[in-house]
Amino acid sequence: MKNLALIVLVFFLITVAGVAFAEIPNPDTYVMLTIAEPDTLDPHQAYDVASGEVIQFVYDNLIAYDGQSLTDFVPWLAMEVPSLENELIMNEATTYIFPLREGVKFHNGNELTPEDVVYSFHRGILADPAAGPMWMLIEAIFGYYSLEDFVFDKTGISLNEALDPESQLINEEYRQPLIDFYQDYIQPAIQADGWDIVFHLSRPFGPFMSILARNSSWAVILDKDTSVEMGCWDGEADGWWEHYNLRKEDSPLYDQAVGTGPFRLIEWDRVQQRVTLERNDDFWGEKPWISTAILWEIEEWGTRRAMLEAGDADQIHTPQQYYEQVTDMPGISVELGDFVLVDSMQFLWEVGPGSPYLGSGQLDGNGIPPDFFSDIHVRRAFNYALDYDTLVEHALGNLVTRIPSVLPVGFLGWSEDQPRYEFDMEKAAEEFQMAWDGELWENGFTVSLFYNIGNERRQTTCEMLQENIESINPKFRVEVIGLQWPTFLDAYRNEHMPAFIIGWQADYADPHNFISTYLHSAGTFSAHWGEPFREFARENLDHLVEQAVMETDPSIRESLYREVQDIAYETAAFGLPLFQPRYIFTMRDWVQGWTFHSMRPGEVNLDQVWKEEN
Amino acid sequence: MFFYIARRLLFLPLTLFGISLIIFFMFMRLSPEQRVALYITSPERLRGDNVERLIDLHGLRDPWHIQYGRWMGNVVRGNLGWSNVGKEPVYSAIMRRFPYTLELALYSALPIIWLGTWLGTLSALYHNRPLDHTLRISAVVGWSFPDFVFGFFVLMIFYSILGWFPPGTLGAEADAVVKSSQFRSFTGMVTIDSLLNGRLDVFIDTARRLAGPVLTLTYVGFAYILRIARSSMLEVLGREYIRTARSKGLEEKVVINKHARRNAMIPVATVSGQTIIALLGGTVIVETIFNRVGIGSFMATAAQQLDFASVIGGSLFFGVILVLGNLLVDVSYALIDPRVRLD
Repeated sequence: MKNLALIVLVFFLITVAGVAFAEIPNPDTYVMLTIAEPDTLDPHQAYDVASGEVIQFVYDNLIAYDGQSLTDFVPWLAMEVPSLENELIMNEATTYIFPLREGVKFHNGNELTPEDVVYSFHRGILADPAAGPMWMLIEAIFGYYSLEDFVFDKTGISLNEALDPESQLINEEYRQPLIDFYQDYIQPAIQADGWDIVFHLSRPFGPFMSILARNSSWAVILDKDTSVEMGCWDGEADGWWEHYNLRKEDSPLYDQAVGTGPFRLIEWDRVQQRVTLERNDDFWGEKPWISTAILWEIEEWGTRRAMLEAGDADQIHTPQQYYEQVTDMPGISVELGDFVLVDSMQFLWEVGPGSPYLGSGQLDGNGIPPDFFSDIHVRRAFNYALDYDTLVEHALGNLVTRIPSVLPVGFLGWSEDQPRYEFDMEKAAEEFQMAWDGELWENGFTVSLFYNIGNERRQTTCEMLQENIESINPKFRVEVIGLQWPTFLDAYRNEHMPAFIIGWQADYADPHNFISTYLHSAGTFSAHWGEPFREFARENLDHLVEQAVMETDPSIRESLYREVQDIAYETAAFGLPLFQPRYIFTMRDWVQGWTFHSMRPGEVNLDQVWKEEN
Repeated sequence: MFFYIARRLLFLPLTLFGISLIIFFMFMRLSPEQRVALYITSPERLRGDNVERLIDLHGLRDPWHIQYGRWMGNVVRGNLGWSNVGKEPVYSAIMRRFPYTLELALYSALPIIWLGTWLGTLSALYHNRPLDHTLRISAVVGWSFPDFVFGFFVLMIFYSILGWFPPGTLGAEADAVVKSSQFRSFTGMVTIDSLLNGRLDVFIDTARRLAGPVLTLTYVGFAYILRIARSSMLEVLGREYIRTARSKGLEEKVVINKHARRNAMIPVATVSGQTIIALLGGTVIVETIFNRVGIGSFMATAAQQLDFASVIGGSLFFGVILVLGNLLVDVSYALIDPRVRLD
C-alpha cells in the first residue's frame, strides 16, 4: 500500500513537472489559423486581406509606416522618405523622388535594380484588372479611376471594345495609338534616374505616400527578369494590352511569388488551404526570428480553438461572438484593436426603378415613395432614433467604437468633437412630424432596412432602430430584412434597397479614401444614392473633396475635411454613421513581439514575433 | 448481365447532360449581378463600373445558349472551367480532394456496415430481450445525435484531453514527406500510399487523423443499418422455410447463417450501397469539424458562393458516382440472391 502511494506521488510529480516545464512545441514555427485563404498572389490583382497578408511578407514596398503611426513613414526599399524639406518632393508636390537601396537581393538571388521598380509600377497600371486595386495608383498619378477611362480620354479607344476576350487587338489600326499611349503617358510618369525612382503626378495628391506604403500590395516591387520569364508582360510598348484585365487565374503570378521580403513563399497548398513561408536568410533588413510561418484557413471556430488549446496553433482568428470564450482561457493572451473598417447605414435619396422593396410605393402607410429619404427631416429623425450608447455598451458588448462621421478614429480630419446626433426620441418625433409636410406623420409608412446575412452586429443595429421608430407612432412600420450576399449585391447594384448597412475597409490610411467614397457625387457608395443626392453633392461637397485631396498642407486638408463632415452632419446626408468594429487577437502567451497596426492585412507581424515562455 | 451493364452505362452520358442542363437553368434564374458576387467579395470592389466589367469579362450577360455552348465547348475539350472556390481548375480541384473523401468513406463504411449488420442480427435473435432493447436504444441515440455535436465530443475528448486524434489530414512533417520527390503516389489515399512507400510514420500520422472522423461517422451511421438488418432478419426468421429448416433438425448456427442471414441481407445490401454512395458524396460537417480535406466541404462552399463551374463539375462527378454506385448495388443483388436475373 505504501509503495502504491509512493508510485502515485512520483507519477503525479512527474506529470506536474512535465506541465510546468513543457517545451513550446515547434519553437521556430508560427502557426496562424485564419478564416480565408488568398484570392491570388499577384500583387496587382490582390484586393483582399488574406492575399495581402502573404504578399506583405514576401514582397517589399518603397516605404513603410513608422511603428503604429498612420501618417509617418520610414524608408524601406527606398533609402529616404521624400518630403518637402529634403527636396525629394518638388514641383508643387507633383514630383516624388525615392532613392533606391542598393545591394538588395530577390529570393532567387537576382539583384534589385531601378528597372525592377519602374517595371513593377508600369505593369500594375497597365494590368488594371476589373475590381482590382490598381485604380488607386491610376487615380493618384493620373487622375483617372481606371485605365479604360484614361486610354479612352487620350486616344478615343475603348479597351473593352478594342480587345477580344483573349485580349488580342480586334483591329490592327489600334496598335500604334496604344503603343503611343504607353510611351507618351505611362513611361514618362514613372522613371528611373540612376538609382532614383521618380514619379510625376498630374497634380498634387495628398494620399500618395500612404498608397505606396508597406502593406499596400499594389505598390510592391517585382523582379522584372523573373516576371518576364514566368510569362508576364515583357516591358515592351508593343503588346502591353495582351496583359490588360486578365482573369486572376490567367496571371503567371497567381500562385508564384519572388520578392525581396523577409519571407520566401514555399507553398500555397490549395487543397489544405494553407500557405507556408520560410525565413529569407538573405533579407536586407532585420531578419525574422521564426524560420517557418504557416497561414492556415480553418473555417470552424471550435476546431481553431481546440488547436490553440492543444498548442498546435500559436494564434487564431476569433469572431466577436466568441470573445467571452477566450478571455479566461489558461495559457492564452487576448488583445483588442480597431482595424480601419467603418460600418454605416446608408440612405438612398432616390431608390432605383423596379425596386420590390417599396411596398405600395406611396406614403399611405403601406410603403414609401422612392424618394422617401430625400427629405432631410426623415434622415434626421432616423439619426435621432438610434440609442447609440445602449447599442455599443449592451447590445454589442463594447466591441465597437462609435464614430461621429465617416472617418475612422485617428485619421486626419477625425475629431472627438465632430458634431454628431445623440439619441433623442422627442427630437426624432419632431423631425418625423415635419417630414413630408406632415403627411408622413398623418399616414405613417412601412420601410425596410437591410443587412447582409451573417453579420449579427448589423442585424442588431437594424432591429434596435426598428423598435425605436415603431414606438414613436403606431402607424410607423419598419421591417428588417437580411439578404445573402449575392442578393444583397444585386439589390445594391440596382439601387433597390432604401436603407442598408454596409462597411468600408480602408485601402490606404488617408481620409480621401472614406470621404470620396461616401461624400462625392461619383463616390463608390454615394454615386448610387440617386440623382437628388448627386445633385446635392455636386453643389455642396464635390469641390471641397477635390480641393482637399490636392492640398499638400495637412492643416488646410484637415479643415476642409472637417467642413465636408459638418455639411454631412447638418443635412444627415449619407445616412447613419455607426462604428468601427473591434478585433480580437487571440494567441498563446508564449508569443512575444506581437504588435498591432490598424492598416496591416492579417492579424500577425510574422517578421517580428518569436516564441518564448514568459 | 453484360448487356444489362452496357445498357445502363450507355444512359450515363444522357444522365450527365440532363444534370448539366438542370443546374445550368437553375443558375440562369439568378441575375448576372447575383452571379458576379462570386468575384465581388467586398464593398471595396464595387467602385465605378467594376460590376459591369466583371460581368463582361465572364460573359454573364450573354444569351443562355451562348453561355451554355461556351461551357459545353470547353467540357468537350476536357476543360471543366475554373473553380473559384478551389482556386484551381475544377477537374483538378475535384480529383485532388476526392481521394481524401474516398479514404474516409472506405474506412467508415466498413465498421458501419459490419457493426450494423452484426448488431442488427443479434438484436433480431434476441428479439424483445434486454440485449435487443439495449441495442435498439443505443441505435436510436446514435441516429438522433447530430453529427456536429458528436463530432465536437470526439474532438474534445480524443484531441483536447487525450491528445490522440488531432484534426487535419496530415501533420506538417508527414505532409512534407508526402510532397517530397521520393514519395510515390499510387492511389492518392495517404494510408495506402504510405504503406506502399514503407513510411509507417506517415501512416500512423494520417491514421490518427482519420480516427476521429471515422469514429463519428460510424456512431451516427451504424444505427440505420442495424435497424434494417434487424427488421429484415426478424421477417426472415418468421418465414416457413426457416421453420422447416429447424424442424428437420438443422443446427441453429446453420439455420441462422446459411438460411436466414443470407436472405435477410438483400435490403441491407441496398442500404449499404446507399450509405457508401452518400459517404462518397462527402460529409460536410465531419470534414469541417475535423478540418479534413474533402469533396463535401468543397461542394458546400461552391454552392454557397454560387461558383457555377464548381457546382456543375461536382454535380457531374456525383452523377457518375451515383450511376456507377447504383449499378454495382444492382449487380450485387444478382450475386447475393440467385433468384434475381438482370437480363
